[in-house]
Amino acid sequence: MIWEALDSSLIVTGLDAKDNKDILKKLGSVVVKEGYAKESYVDALIVREEEFPTGLDVDGVGVAIPHTSVEHVNKVGIAIATLNNPVTFVQMGTDDETVGVQLVFMLAVVDPNAHIDQLQRIVEMIQDKAMLGRLMKAKDPEEIIHIIKEKEETLS
Amino acid sequence: MAKKKVIVACGGAVATSTIAANKVMELAKENGIEIEICQIRISEIASNLDSNTALIVPTSKVKRDYGVPLISGMPFISGVKLEETKAAILKVLREES
Repeated sequence: MIWEALDSSLIVTGLDAKDNKDILKKLGSVVVKEGYAKESYVDALIVREEEFPTGLDVDGVGVAIPHTSVEHVNKVGIAIATLNNPVTFVQMGTDDETVGVQLVFMLAVVDPNAHIDQLQRIVEMIQDKAMLGRLMKAKDPEEIIHIIKEKEETLS
Repeated sequence: MAKKKVIVACGGAVATSTIAANKVMELAKENGIEIEICQIRISEIASNLDSNTALIVPTSKVKRDYGVPLISGMPFISGVKLEETKAAILKVLREES
């Protein structure tokens, strides 16, 4: 279950961002401020995103899962942001195919193999288009956690 | 016969290749195929290729031709065209080496 581990201080709804760098900065700074990652995390996210983009087009819904190397991270965490307006991300696995993203799952990963269950859960959620739609409409962090909890209860 | 080696790679061997590697392993197990998984960064593919390497499953873009079949692992993340990808991977794993 990941909902139990979700930290509402890492969840931001209705964020305004002018481009993907801006959202990486804004949400990445929250992750740093809350102690989950080191100062170097934000720049590392931006560099990584340029080289290995993380946008996903889930059957018409744009999601991004930015993350970076473990040395920039203090402890495992998942930050979530919903955006008022879509920002353009390049799609994972491509050079130039873009997708408009309104939902970001930012991962702070320390030891991927130790957190494989959490990573899998996030992927299962990302693949649920109906749930993504609900998350994007959520008004506050508590609602996001509640939606994820409900979804997880159907998975277990 | 040596186990077939599957290289699963992404930008930093952090998140997406971990998921894809786990899924490829599950898929092989379900189908009774023994494989060895090698989870690395894209930049480390060349130095990890050997004669047992049957397949590369990247979750990032790969521009080079490594002379080994390559099937994108992106569907393990997005869920889009997942069944086709699984079938394509099984086909490669079942081929006589």
